[in-house]
Amino acid sequence: MLTALAALLLVVLASLALGVRDINPAEVWRALTAPVAGLMDHDVVLEQRLPRTIVGLAAGVALGTAGTLIQGVTRNPIADPGLLGLNSGASLAVVCAVWLLGITSPLGYVWFAFLGAAVAAAIVFSVGRGQPVRLALVGAAVTALITPLITLVLLRDQQAFNLYRFWSVGSLTGRGLDTVTALWPFIVVGLVLAAALAHRLNMLALGDDVATALGQRVGTTRALAAVAIVLLAGTATSLAGPIALVGLVVPHAARRLVGTDYRWVMAVGALLGPVMLLTADVLGRLILPRSELEAGVVAALLGAPVLVAVARSRNVVGA
Amino acid sequence: MSAPAPATPTRVTDTTVTTVADLRTLRRRRQALVVSGMVLVVLVAGTAALLMGAAGLTPGQAISGVFGLGDKGDVFVVQKLRLPRIEAAVVVGVAFGLAGALFQSTLRNPLASPDILGISTGASLGAVIGVLVLGLSGMALSGLAFAGAGVVALAIWLLAWRKGLHSIRFVLVGVGFAYLGSSLIAWAMARSQEHEAAAVLIWTVGSVSDVRGEQLTLVAAGTLVLCAAAAVVSRTQGPLALGDDNARALGVHVDAARVGALLLAVALVALATSAAGPIAFVALVAPAIARRLVNDGGAALVASAATGAALTLAADVIAQHGLLGVAAPVGIVTGLVGAPYLLWLLATTEKRSR
Repeated sequence: MLTALAALLLVVLASLALGVRDINPAEVWRALTAPVAGLMDHDVVLEQRLPRTIVGLAAGVALGTAGTLIQGVTRNPIADPGLLGLNSGASLAVVCAVWLLGITSPLGYVWFAFLGAAVAAAIVFSVGRGQPVRLALVGAAVTALITPLITLVLLRDQQAFNLYRFWSVGSLTGRGLDTVTALWPFIVVGLVLAAALAHRLNMLALGDDVATALGQRVGTTRALAAVAIVLLAGTATSLAGPIALVGLVVPHAARRLVGTDYRWVMAVGALLGPVMLLTADVLGRLILPRSELEAGVVAALLGAPVLVAVARSRNVVGA
Repeated sequence: MSAPAPATPTRVTDTTVTTVADLRTLRRRRQALVVSGMVLVVLVAGTAALLMGAAGLTPGQAISGVFGLGDKGDVFVVQKLRLPRIEAAVVVGVAFGLAGALFQSTLRNPLASPDILGISTGASLGAVIGVLVLGLSGMALSGLAFAGAGVVALAIWLLAWRKGLHSIRFVLVGVGFAYLGSSLIAWAMARSQEHEAAAVLIWTVGSVSDVRGEQLTLVAAGTLVLCAAAAVVSRTQGPLALGDDNARALGVHVDAARVGALLLAVALVALATSAAGPIAFVALVAPAIARRLVNDGGAALVASAATGAALTLAADVIAQHGLLGVAAPVGIVTGLVGAPYLLWLLATTEKRSR
């Protein structure tokens, strides 16, 4: 827990200080406490790095928690909102909103993101119920079903295409602070739900029968978890685009740190989500000499090896 | 008398022999029927593709155009625009159908297809880097896509290998690579000019509209060679379907046969994808249809290839003329058909297959 907190503080500092123009921590502190207008370093910190850090914090918390929830409720080590097709469902709904209704502000399309994620979640959970591996494959199939539909809309609508290609890479820079101020209530509701469900997930980990015998309404747990997942994943997608694999990696890392008690995994997962997302963002700023890799791309680069490692592990395949 | 006792088995053997022979003929006839049915579909869809379009041609004009006679404009439309597109759809469809059949029979998993295994993504990634970063086009671009598919296939293979090739692990590692690839493609698209990005978008879905000339000849020749190789490999597919131990007992080098078949399949997919992009799910769906129609428990390689061609060409005609008023790339139609099939497959298969 303390490790995760320390890591988060470190990454936030790095996110404020590092970039094309390196600013030393003392100067960052001065920019935050006593900003001098017109001073280049202070402007960079306040107007560029602070907003993207806050977007990263919000989206990261949402993704980390959503991933932990989804892995807990499905008892599935290879689940995440992206793998299970929720992100692509949200993307399709957003693209349709842009195309048919001309909505281009995140505040307008966040509702469509929720709707799309919810529909995708409903399909994936109803078809893939039971086996972990099948759930991941159903997610891939739903993504494969949705992708041509998105493409069809994009080929028809230039505006949607241009919005989509900058949004779909998953970036922390596209949205301003006003989006976060408008969307944070959804994240808070999702987090409260997740915190309330953590104890139930511990029982669910023992199997549906045991959980039922212990007096839990398994169906209610699943439904509440689904609501929280859709809220968190939908908000994260509206904030930063469809970012894959953060929700997959974070719970694994959290379990390494604090064991299998979901009350702790949930808390640490919420902290590690922004750690991973902001690390990806900072790395993306530094990796290329004159350009930038978006956080979503770096997150996929970091996350894919973890997915492969999990797939290689004995207990997933059972052979 | 004790004589009838030995006589009975002889008589039974006689009828057994004839029954087996009859069954074989029946099976061959059924295969021939399926293949000729698919060829018929190809002919019908091909005729439709020749006649439909902005320059409406009468059947007479179209036929004389095919032989280079008649009005110069018609000849151009037929020989330079419509025929190459039809040929490309057929060639690419054969390659995808055959590759899918090889994948599925070798891994003994109806889910195994290049779409899910991340090989298509590898080819796309190679092509996207080729267009947007290196500014390539034509043959060089196809080469890079081919290399991308090969490298990613090899990487998936090595990573999924752990005391043998487990198909579920194979599929999961493939999904990981698919994510990696699609995020890099998204990044490249966000970085590029608008018209380039649109071209890449169409390419990543799969389209047969720009495969012509030298490239078409190359892909067709390559597919032909690989088909011949597949005919050799196909002798081991029957025993392999009986399980590793039985195949070994029948004298098949199981690992060698499997590696050979998979290499062929990867080469076919890489070749087709390098020209036309990863046309979604043809490799998944075509063998499934073919197997069901032939229904002899075998891999149905020839029928799968024919079904692939019929499917791709029919989908292209629909994509070009029948969809929301946009001339859409063929991959959209095959994706919309294939993904629900995959979902259905996942919903109805209860047990995981090895």
